[in-house]
Amino acid sequence: MTAVARSYAVGLVGLDGHLVEVEADLAQGLPGLTVIGLPDAALAEARDRVRAAVVNSGQPWPQRRITLALSPAWLPKRGSGFDLALAAAVLAAQGVVPADALSGRVLLGELGLDGHVRAVRGVLPAALTARSAGIERVVVPLDNLPEARLLPGITARGVGSLRDLVLLLTGEPYDETLPPAAPRLPLVQPDLADVVGQVPGRTAVEVVAAGGHHALLLGPPGSGKTMLAERLPGLLPRLSLEEALEVTAVHSVAGALPDDQPLVELPPFQDPHHTATVASVVGGGSGIARPGAASLAHRGILFLDEAPEFPARVLDALRQPLESGRLTLTRVGGTAVYPAAFTLVLAANPCPCAKPDSACSCPADTRRRYLARLSGPLLDRIDMHVEVPQITRAEMLADAGHVETTAVVAARVAAARRRAAVRYAGTPWRSNGQVPPVELRRRWPVPRSSVRDVDQALELGHLTARGYGRVLRLAWTLADLAGADVPGPEHVGHALTFRLGSAVGRLAA
Amino acid sequence: MSDEEQLRALLALSRVTEPGSRSVHRAVQSRGAGAVWEALRRGRPCPPVSPALQAAATARAEGYDPAGDLARLERCGGRLVHPGHPEWPAERLDWPDGVLHDAPPLALCVRGPHSLTDVAARSVAVVGARAATAYGAHVAGELSRALAERGAAVVSGGAYGIDAAAHRGALDAEAAPTVAVLACGVDVAYPRGNDRLLARTAQQGLVVSELPPGSTPTRARFLVRNRLIAALTLGTVVVEAAARSGSLATADRARELGRHLMAVPGPVTSALSAGCHALLRDGATCVTRAEEVLDLVGVLGADAATPLRGPTSVRDELSETVRRVLEAVPVRGGAGEAALARDAGVSTLVVQQVLPPLLVHGLVERTPLGWRLTALGAGRPTR
Repeated sequence: MTAVARSYAVGLVGLDGHLVEVEADLAQGLPGLTVIGLPDAALAEARDRVRAAVVNSGQPWPQRRITLALSPAWLPKRGSGFDLALAAAVLAAQGVVPADALSGRVLLGELGLDGHVRAVRGVLPAALTARSAGIERVVVPLDNLPEARLLPGITARGVGSLRDLVLLLTGEPYDETLPPAAPRLPLVQPDLADVVGQVPGRTAVEVVAAGGHHALLLGPPGSGKTMLAERLPGLLPRLSLEEALEVTAVHSVAGALPDDQPLVELPPFQDPHHTATVASVVGGGSGIARPGAASLAHRGILFLDEAPEFPARVLDALRQPLESGRLTLTRVGGTAVYPAAFTLVLAANPCPCAKPDSACSCPADTRRRYLARLSGPLLDRIDMHVEVPQITRAEMLADAGHVETTAVVAARVAAARRRAAVRYAGTPWRSNGQVPPVELRRRWPVPRSSVRDVDQALELGHLTARGYGRVLRLAWTLADLAGADVPGPEHVGHALTFRLGSAVGRLAA
Repeated sequence: MSDEEQLRALLALSRVTEPGSRSVHRAVQSRGAGAVWEALRRGRPCPPVSPALQAAATARAEGYDPAGDLARLERCGGRLVHPGHPEWPAERLDWPDGVLHDAPPLALCVRGPHSLTDVAARSVAVVGARAATAYGAHVAGELSRALAERGAAVVSGGAYGIDAAAHRGALDAEAAPTVAVLACGVDVAYPRGNDRLLARTAQQGLVVSELPPGSTPTRARFLVRNRLIAALTLGTVVVEAAARSGSLATADRARELGRHLMAVPGPVTSALSAGCHALLRDGATCVTRAEEVLDLVGVLGADAATPLRGPTSVRDELSETVRRVLEAVPVRGGAGEAALARDAGVSTLVVQQVLPPLLVHGLVERTPLGWRLTALGAGRPTR
């Protein structure tokens, strides 16, 4: 009987994985079980789960002094995902399964007392860690198998119980069929054609999607701000496999992956309510911080409806990800870095009373203060100030012939994004919204004949110098959408609309 | 009594009594500031000042150091302008007792590099709502800039909204000075958000108050201050005012003082223009351009407005497409992008490309109901 056996698992700190070696030692002495190597509470409880699961699976439990060591010892280890590796190490130490079956395999999974294997979070980033550590074989809970199979270069096996694991490791066949997934409802994406009578709003979301510009939608209730924002994900191109894996990894760590959808293929849409806390929006929690809505919106849309109602601390906390595209969260248990390259869309009523313009009788300062909550560094990073007008009946009738479906607009957006990608090849940027205005003006100058109107707007005081840079950036997106090589006067003229005359524009100036 | 003592007494009186008190003003006129201050300080009766007012003043005079206020005023670069001072605009401020509910100021604290009497001689008040719309702020700014360029000083109250837009517009012209009349001390930045605007006004224009330095604004002081704005100027223009706006108080004072009263019309749907429209119904003069203001208040001939002939320079360069869109924009009400596209026979994209530059040039404007022509855009000579 071997006294020592080894198995492998993965410990996650945020999205960062570390290969963890589990050693089991069976020694003479009073029967008992000790887990060492910085386990947290859930992991320390693994002692009882593992013992019960092994015994209830009809396997022998050694009447020895058992020491289970997880190394590297300095790495804090959290959660129940180590159960499978712990059980396997004990079984191998007794010779129930061959010890060499454990080398070159990463085992992930939580055990129930009866020996069945439960799904765990973070399977995708864990499998990624295994792959980069040179381990190609991964054993995961059966329910997580579709997620683990996403990754090329990995041979993933699923086990439904500890008994299955023993059969797998001893080379016997077992039942690996997935439980039938609930029939997947066809994903109904809301269509842009529903927003009738709102030409400027529809154009605005098209520009947001094409250029990745952050936007503020300002308009009275009922003008369609929320409808417009909800239609944005459908306008964005589908995620590439690489992007999808990135996004899926974050959702996996957050435990936010739907059962029937192992891979997040569509750009995510997150709309936290305005009572949300800082921790829920940017991420947080004790020990190791978990990702928040901002990271779940990575490569997608973060939509804050009634933005002035959000606590100032939440809005301020968004400045780092807007700047760097990631969030660094340090807690006692370690520092987690989550990606957070989202497009921010804010919506606001002009007044907290939320009545149409003519019915609002709020005192002078109320309206001013309401929007002033948004002013400052956050607004500096927002290219588009969109005045979403009240929808009138006359306009709805006139607009009926102009509406375009999401599919039509999305095709235009994709073409515009390709144009921008070609232009920015070899630079760190991908879309117009990312290019610093100074660089844009230096490297891709706009012809003088195109900027007459915007020059005049600057001279007349309608625009600030910052607004000027933003107008040019937006003009590039409008030119990309039109298939033009450089912005013409019509594109610059159009772009002006996103910086003119809005109440918030004046605050941000 | 020396000049220095006279100044101290005036500042002391403005400290211990509220501005605009008619009995205090009468007492000062008949007995001199020094004697009134002496009486109030010592708690002696000082008719026609009522015993209650005298007791309140005496209580406030307790431990007061008259030299301190004067030093403080000088420290912030201010001076005290009083009746008899060369800068005192006597023909504006010395209205007979009873014309207004409140008396003229005892003296004025003034900061800035201009003579108050010279500036007041050719000045117009531009006032309005604090919660101004984009339209109101735009009109106030453009009007004030044009007034300043034509040599008229723009007087306003230093508040947010229309007031701030008026001061900014006038400062941007870098021509005639602008005057901020405050309801607090001239060294107090109120509202806080306008502190830089007020500092700029003190450098390039004038900041005026009848309260001693360091005073804080109160509701009553705002109302009393409004009479100064109306009195100092040849006429008052109300740009945007809701039905019960403080700027309507300024308008009332202007009327009572026999000054010209003007109002800028707004969308009839806008609650923020309701006050202006009420003024227009009551006989205020409708103005839309600086020329029209100067036509009314200015010296006849020199300032007479030339009839509007349309924006020749801008319009002549308009392309056929732009012209068609512009023709589709209604004069009243408003129209959305789709309606304009239908009426002009172009795509909604073209409409969206054409309108913003027209907005910059002041030919069209955005209202809650959609796009509409401005006065400038509507005054088209040929169709």
